[in-house]
Amino acid sequence: MKLLKAVYDGLSSLWLSCTLLMFLALLTWLGTLDQVHNGLFEVQRRYFESWFLIERIGQIAIPLPGATLVLAVLTINLTLGGLVRIRKGSATAGIIVAHVGILMLVFAGYVKMNHSEDGHLTLFEGQESNTFESYHFWEVALFERIDDARVREIVVPQADFAANTSGAPVALRSAELPFEFELKHFTPNSRVLPKGPMFTPKLPVADGYFLEALQLEKENEHNIAGVYAAVTPKDGGQRSESILWGASRQPWTVEVGGKTFGIELRRQEFALPFVVRLDDFVKEDHPRIDMPKVFSSDITVDEAASSRQVKISMNEPLRQDGLVLYQSGWGPQNARPGDPLFSTLAVVRNPADQYPLYACIVIAVGLVLHFGRKLKKHISSQGAQAS
Amino acid sequence: MNTLAKLILALAVSLCGARISAAQHSADDGHGHGHPEHTMPTRSAPYSERVLELAAALPVQDGGRVKPLSTFADFTLLRFNGKRSLKLDDGTKLDATTWLLDVLFYPQQAEAYRCFQVNDVHAIEALGISTAGKKKRDRYSFHELEPGISKLFELARQYRAKEERLRSSVEQQIFTLASNVDDYFALKSHFDFARAAFDVGQSPELVATLGGETASFSTILAKLPRLIELQSAWRVDPARAEDSRELVRLVQSAADYSSVTSSLALMPALVTEPANANWHTPSDVLSSTFETEEPMREHLETLAAFETLAMSIGDPARFESALAALHGRTVATAIQRGEYAKVPLEISYYKAQLLTYSLAIFLLGFVLTGLLWIAPRLKLLYAASSLAVVVSTGLLVTAIVMRCMIRGRPPVSTLYETLLFVAAVTTLVLLVVEWINRQRLALSVAAAFGTIMLFLANGYETLDKRDTMPQLVAVLDTNFWLATHVTAITSGYAAGLGATAIASVYLVCRLFGATRRKPELARLLTRMTYGVLCFALIFSVVGTILGGVWANDSWGRFWGWDPKENGALLICLAQLVILHGRMGGYLREFGLAAATAFQGTIIAFSWFHVNLLGVGLHSYGFTSGIHTSLWTYYTGQWGLIAFACGHYWLERERSKAVAQALTEQRVTSVSSDVGAT
Repeated sequence: MKLLKAVYDGLSSLWLSCTLLMFLALLTWLGTLDQVHNGLFEVQRRYFESWFLIERIGQIAIPLPGATLVLAVLTINLTLGGLVRIRKGSATAGIIVAHVGILMLVFAGYVKMNHSEDGHLTLFEGQESNTFESYHFWEVALFERIDDARVREIVVPQADFAANTSGAPVALRSAELPFEFELKHFTPNSRVLPKGPMFTPKLPVADGYFLEALQLEKENEHNIAGVYAAVTPKDGGQRSESILWGASRQPWTVEVGGKTFGIELRRQEFALPFVVRLDDFVKEDHPRIDMPKVFSSDITVDEAASSRQVKISMNEPLRQDGLVLYQSGWGPQNARPGDPLFSTLAVVRNPADQYPLYACIVIAVGLVLHFGRKLKKHISSQGAQAS
Repeated sequence: MNTLAKLILALAVSLCGARISAAQHSADDGHGHGHPEHTMPTRSAPYSERVLELAAALPVQDGGRVKPLSTFADFTLLRFNGKRSLKLDDGTKLDATTWLLDVLFYPQQAEAYRCFQVNDVHAIEALGISTAGKKKRDRYSFHELEPGISKLFELARQYRAKEERLRSSVEQQIFTLASNVDDYFALKSHFDFARAAFDVGQSPELVATLGGETASFSTILAKLPRLIELQSAWRVDPARAEDSRELVRLVQSAADYSSVTSSLALMPALVTEPANANWHTPSDVLSSTFETEEPMREHLETLAAFETLAMSIGDPARFESALAALHGRTVATAIQRGEYAKVPLEISYYKAQLLTYSLAIFLLGFVLTGLLWIAPRLKLLYAASSLAVVVSTGLLVTAIVMRCMIRGRPPVSTLYETLLFVAAVTTLVLLVVEWINRQRLALSVAAAFGTIMLFLANGYETLDKRDTMPQLVAVLDTNFWLATHVTAITSGYAAGLGATAIASVYLVCRLFGATRRKPELARLLTRMTYGVLCFALIFSVVGTILGGVWANDSWGRFWGWDPKENGALLICLAQLVILHGRMGGYLREFGLAAATAFQGTIIAFSWFHVNLLGVGLHSYGFTSGIHTSLWTYYTGQWGLIAFACGHYWLERERSKAVAQALTEQRVTSVSSDVGAT
């Protein structure tokens, strides 16, 4: 019982709050400076999505808790110390309200991290789409044309094959497929090169080509993944191998049992519950200078029963069916007047989309309540002293 | 047929317009000037008040907005000269508008003005120019630089290929000087088109069409459709080949003269084209007339007004009336287009020099509050100090309000404006604290803080050398978020720095033993630090979260670990650590002051330093050149904290030793008492 009490006291202590807040500040500072050298994606992974990390200062290695661990313990500390253990009364009402607001914020972050999808939808004027694609994740799609209008597709998400970067193949079996399918040697950033006579590549050669692993780009969306694929017909036909590369223009095609299958590595795709058509994209500069004043996309949203026109511009996204569409980019950057333009809309599905705003209101109310009360008390005591 | 003739003429025009720059072109030619030089009149008397008023109020479109010519002149001279005024060799002081008028209308005279500031004489030596008698940091005239202009642009072209951060100081100086000389050349040649009498040549048809053997720019433009017709006829007639060449030469010459006018858009777009926000230059008008084959009457009249103005130099009365006519035309069109409303207010804003007066009165307040510590019982001095700080803060707030009215925006939209806003909010908060406590302390800190911040704002403006009311990129162009997030976070900076200032005063007092002699002073400073820090926390936390909410609306994510976001989070975390540390009893009087003083450097990191990193979505703020200032502040602040900590440790050791000695003494006396008993 004493041990439990000691653990409870420790976890709810102000000492722990201060220590955790200092660790979070240290990680934030290190993660900010490191972005100059390693880019945001790598920094996020190293400092803010980790449980532990080793920070090196010259030759000295310093073990540090990662932000995930710090935030997890801080949440417990905040709950126990800031809501449960804290004395309840008018003097602490503001603090409690502010702590509730912070927990709402943490909860919003948790929901976003675990239950959100994000990507982009890029359309030229006049084009339409009912899917959007991920910035960061890949998938292997195996598809077979059924008739002119229909395509049957089996999708293998990155998580199923990306962890295995070694030569050991990851086998994927499906009763719907007349072949065994294997993936191996996933490389998150790579290029395809022809095998020359004077060297031996590190990765296998398929059809005279091999994948060369490249250093990861600072911006993750600039990485082009690659993976080796093999198809072995279930009826005992000949095994065939090829390289699937993220920037290939054509899928790899295989014929098995008289059917033709297309196989490609592509950015992960998500379905939209409506069709988006880009009617017009407007980019307007301030007069006589090369500084953008307005970006906006006039789109038509087609649903089963209705169709409506919407303008999406900077700071004015479209919120519909749990999705939010933002004006994110445009191109081609070297387009001349009259050239067709494309617009890139960032698409996010985040169930906690508006929680931070509510949390902000709650925290503000709590802080104003607490410090307002203190200020009032101070002014009263000053008045009393003066009189 | 007409189209082909038009194409030939248009090609002639585009060949002139395609030049990299007028100054580089002239330098490449081996001349100092792009156009033939005549001896031009020099200004023998000062401009009349009326001329200066009219010129200052002439609207111009620059940096994406319509502004008074005086603002354009101010920032152009600031960029060249490092100051908004210019001192001539004979001791005469020119304001920016007078200088600009001289450059535009008396270019030969202005070439002798030493208006190019160069911080390192090695940059001039690299151009092969003699620097005898010059200081390391000195000013040069166009005349003095002229022999080295070819070399200047040759070097600037080389350095352009280098990233700015990789250029040496001398290379950067040369690059900047080349850019300034180029802009200067465009200004001095701007009205060449209006001064020129273009030689029409021998062709009787051309002479008849243009009404004489020479023609003005506006006349050529007015007759351009007819000239295109003539060219289409002559181009296919071998007998008229010479006339055709003459015609092309004439149009090319007009295009050449107007090609340097792109830096000064003085011609409003037409009232009949409200959707066109772009103002025009003579070069634009020439190009558009080629496209439409229909010269606009309004443009021709404005060009004729420029010509009348340029030809009337040397006759002050005629010059004034020509300037009044041009001013009247331009302003009338700008008013009709709804683009002039804020121009008079902007003229008043700069003319009133509110920030200069505010700085001077803050400085006065600083001196008075200093005296107040020598003679604390002098009520009149307290009243005068308070009045000085209140008035200077009032002037500062008025300046901020005027800027909001001019731009139609909330108070903070640029880094420069954060300096003004932080100064205003901090001094207001400290005035409130003074009103509550009436102990002189907050008043003194307010006076010192206001002085320092306005000095910094002034230094920033001089360093940046750009219009402090620029247009904003699309994502920032939202009054709602500028008014909420930016205002809140900047208020957080302001209050946090206010708390830092008070805490630093505590540390200084502690170092000099004032807190030991007057414990009530220490308690007061601690209370003030705590109070202002609480105020800062509210705005820092709310401002940071609102920033996330804005990011969620603009980019689709609440938090992206962007350096600016991280900086804001660091401020919140530092303030939370301090307040929780105080609540837990880990930070008492000294600890609170030392931690709060340290928090000031975190604010400086978040406010300016993260912009120096050059990564992230918020790297649009100007930052280069402030590295030294930041590190000076860090070193000073950390040095103060280190000294104070050392002093605190010594104090504690001394107290311990004294306590131990007392204990031992007591034990000795007790045992001797026992022995005696």
